Amino acid sequence: MCGIIGYIGDKSAQPILLNCLKRLEYRGYDSCGIAVAAGSLEVYKDAVRVEELARVAPQLNGTVGIGHTRWATHGEPSQVNAHPHLDCSGKIAVVHNGVINNFQRLKRQLTAEGHNFVSETDTEVISHLIEKYYAGNLEKAVEAALRDVDGSYAIIVLMAGEPKLVAARKDSPLIIGVSDRENFIASDVPAILDYTSRVIYLEEGDIGVVTKDNIKIRRHGTKVVGKEHKVLWSVEDAQKAGYEHFMLKEIHEQPRVIRDTLGGYISAAEPETKLVMMTEANLENMLVVACGTAYHAALVGKYIVGELVGIPVRTEIACEFTYCHQIPAGTAAIVITQSGETADTLKAMKRLKEAGCRVVAITNVVGSTASRIADQTIYTRAGPEISVAATKSFTAQLMVLYWLALSYSRVDIRRVDSLTMGLRQLPEKVQQVLDNEDKIRQYADYLSRYENVFFISRGINFPVALEGALKLKEISYIHAEGYAAGELKHGPFALLGASTPVIAIVARDNTYETMLTNIKEVKARGSPLMALAEEGDEAIEELADLVITVPRVDAIFSPVVNTVALQLLAYYTAKQRGCPIDFPRNLAKSVTVE
Amino acid sequence: MKQAVILAGGEGQRLRPFTANRPKVMLFIAGKPILQYVVEALAQNGIRNLVIVIGYRREEVFDYMGSGERFGVDITYATQEKQLGTAHALAQAKDVTEDEFLVLPGDNLIEADAIAQFVAVKPEAVLVKRVDNPARYGVVTIDKGVVKDIVEKPKEAKSNVASTGIYAFTQQIYDFIAPELDIPDVLNNMIAQGKQLRAQETDGTWLDVAYPWDILSLNDAVLRQIQAKLEGIIETGVSVKGLVSVGKGTLIRSNSYIVGPVVIGDNCDIGPNVCLLPATSVGDNVVISPFTEIKNSVIGSDVNIGTGCIIQDSVIDRGCVIKGHFTACSGEADVKVDDEHHMVNIGAMLGEGCSLGNSVIAQPGVIVGNHSQVQALKLISGRLPDRSLVV
Repeated sequence: MCGIIGYIGDKSAQPILLNCLKRLEYRGYDSCGIAVAAGSLEVYKDAVRVEELARVAPQLNGTVGIGHTRWATHGEPSQVNAHPHLDCSGKIAVVHNGVINNFQRLKRQLTAEGHNFVSETDTEVISHLIEKYYAGNLEKAVEAALRDVDGSYAIIVLMAGEPKLVAARKDSPLIIGVSDRENFIASDVPAILDYTSRVIYLEEGDIGVVTKDNIKIRRHGTKVVGKEHKVLWSVEDAQKAGYEHFMLKEIHEQPRVIRDTLGGYISAAEPETKLVMMTEANLENMLVVACGTAYHAALVGKYIVGELVGIPVRTEIACEFTYCHQIPAGTAAIVITQSGETADTLKAMKRLKEAGCRVVAITNVVGSTASRIADQTIYTRAGPEISVAATKSFTAQLMVLYWLALSYSRVDIRRVDSLTMGLRQLPEKVQQVLDNEDKIRQYADYLSRYENVFFISRGINFPVALEGALKLKEISYIHAEGYAAGELKHGPFALLGASTPVIAIVARDNTYETMLTNIKEVKARGSPLMALAEEGDEAIEELADLVITVPRVDAIFSPVVNTVALQLLAYYTAKQRGCPIDFPRNLAKSVTVE
Repeated sequence: MKQAVILAGGEGQRLRPFTANRPKVMLFIAGKPILQYVVEALAQNGIRNLVIVIGYRREEVFDYMGSGERFGVDITYATQEKQLGTAHALAQAKDVTEDEFLVLPGDNLIEADAIAQFVAVKPEAVLVKRVDNPARYGVVTIDKGVVKDIVEKPKEAKSNVASTGIYAFTQQIYDFIAPELDIPDVLNNMIAQGKQLRAQETDGTWLDVAYPWDILSLNDAVLRQIQAKLEGIIETGVSVKGLVSVGKGTLIRSNSYIVGPVVIGDNCDIGPNVCLLPATSVGDNVVISPFTEIKNSVIGSDVNIGTGCIIQDSVIDRGCVIKGHFTACSGEADVKVDDEHHMVNIGAMLGEGCSLGNSVIAQPGVIVGNHSQVQALKLISGRLPDRSLVV
């Protein structure tokens, strides 16, 4: 959950490293640092954001270097715990993303052997191990050091006097960016888009040695040739393009994301991907595994598939799936992960594969680890999502789930036709929600005064209540809870009152009448009530204190328009409260640690 | 000249309903917003450092133009919070402009040839063009290549030389700017104080859109110059004649008949047996059902058109859903905009997100507000406000 970067070439490394680190900040930003080698090794690091580091760092000379932006796991954010970490001699520098499980044992052992540790991090053992095994060949030393290590890692090693970078990965992502007379190593593609669009994805257990004109990769002791991919994302996608925050840009991109994601599927021209799973006549049940916002998409998927395909769907939070022992062999499983690198989700995938399940991954990142483990991968075409709070990736995941359900061979063709038309209308419907921004902004100003908020709904919009609450809490720091409207009576009612507003998401489906009753119950407890309702719903206008209207859509698509409205509500509430929207405290974008 | 400032904050009141949710610069003509033509014209003349002054509905500009990479330019945005005047808009760019720069309105469609010479002019200068109806514009009086004065929308024009609103300035222009002024006022003040403003004439493409139906004439003019390309899938039995451009992922089904100039976007589903006649633009993700004929019209993205429709000289904005047998035939109509009467030959102007039931008939010249709903078998005419319900 940290970002790492390496550069080797003819240019001065420092500005390039800092620029790449800025693009990696979504992976963590509590501290950062760089190391540059000319003759000797120079390091500058601190518990600050990259921008600040760039401002205060002295000029480090050299055309090879490494950098790191940190999301603390072992040891608090501080200058001494920031990466790169050095060995005793100060000649070897390491940046690391991941967790070393046996670092305490290794640390004791190395200390006993006379190594001097300065930080509380797990990473520092790697520098000292490399120092211990170094006998003239850095690559061999790294290989030997990693044999002692148990855990997940993506590392880049730089040594004074060695004009090369050594990289290795296990359970954490790492890519090599290929260019002319210079090469890059990075945690993720957006980091290097300013410089190159040619990328080699390192595989599990790979060790790469990168010089400015050469890339050598060893996989389990054998030399392999890394396959070069051309990245379709542009720098453009990774820039704010006028918007104050990435989150707002990404919210606004959603009409296009819907069009692009559906384009490849529902377009009448032959769909480019056929989903094998959904053509099977014996499909009896389905398991969907995900974390965070993607898990909420999975929950909506449960209703979509349940309604259209008519089979039971089980959803699991990936981190809890580890403790769940019953996996029927042959289960059709879907995992959803924006980054394709979410540690818990990858772990669940491996278990599913071992249990003999067919696994389909829904991910946004081409070449990601999830796509390599899965039997089949469906890509959401959301483009890079930089904001920590997921928005467009959620919508794109829903689009894939709709398409997946509609592509099931047994869904009534008339239903398919009318829903396909509904899907085609969605970009415009979402645009209508965006055009209502000024009104939502006013309501956000109102909401920003409170410290506790409940989101309630029923049926297919229940996961939307969860997602609305998640968006609000993660960026505005308001304590928000999503509840099934019927569950509110089983406890949370005790918390209602004039200082606890309730936001009710009301869809025109079979939940409508009961939702009206629930709203009345809430009103009777004196809570301010904000409703999200279809335009023209007069009953709600009378009941609720504030109403955000959304355009009328088929109830099965209501999670899309409702979620976009709640994203805007969360964004403007956080903005009103002066929160750092794209970089909420303590969070990072892709959660690559368990 | 290396830099240009594009004024893109304008609202375009007279173009309602099409400008209710987008700035005027983002009106789509032949598959591209007007602003893109301006940006491309500049890029083709080697001007890639652009400042775009945005205001009204700025997100539409951000979403489409981004940082300019897609168009080979580098865009910096400057915000005009309140739409005061064009001079005020320019003043917002003061901090980011170089010693010399061009200023262009983002809502006039230009081709590269219009500014080919002007990019080398010595500031301060204005680009002028001879037009048939100068009273719509700023009329420029010129003596030996030097501007005497500019009169905005005169009752009686002294000449047929109109200002294109395209200027070459130096930093000194900012000394003359006061808020709530338009650029021509600023220039008149400048001339009055003895500064020189040169005029250069162009006969290149420069088109203005003032009223909703102007979208049709611009579309016609621009479509004549499109590049033919056929992506997507064209089924057997489809006739394609003249200049036709079809986007990726689009399917044109059997027996459709397409006579260019016609441009069709990405991921559309058209036909079977659909007739698209000159000069028609179709956006992305559009469905056109069998036996429908569309002629000289602009169809926005995400539109769904049912079977057996006749659509002529019409503009259908994004997201409309039109059921079968909609008739929008062209005819002479007296249309009122801002208390002015205009005699025009058009079909229907439909705002975004409208929903029309089966067999609706549109009288020539009808202007339907955004998100209106019309029930089956209705005859619509005149001007319907936004969110009208016709039952």
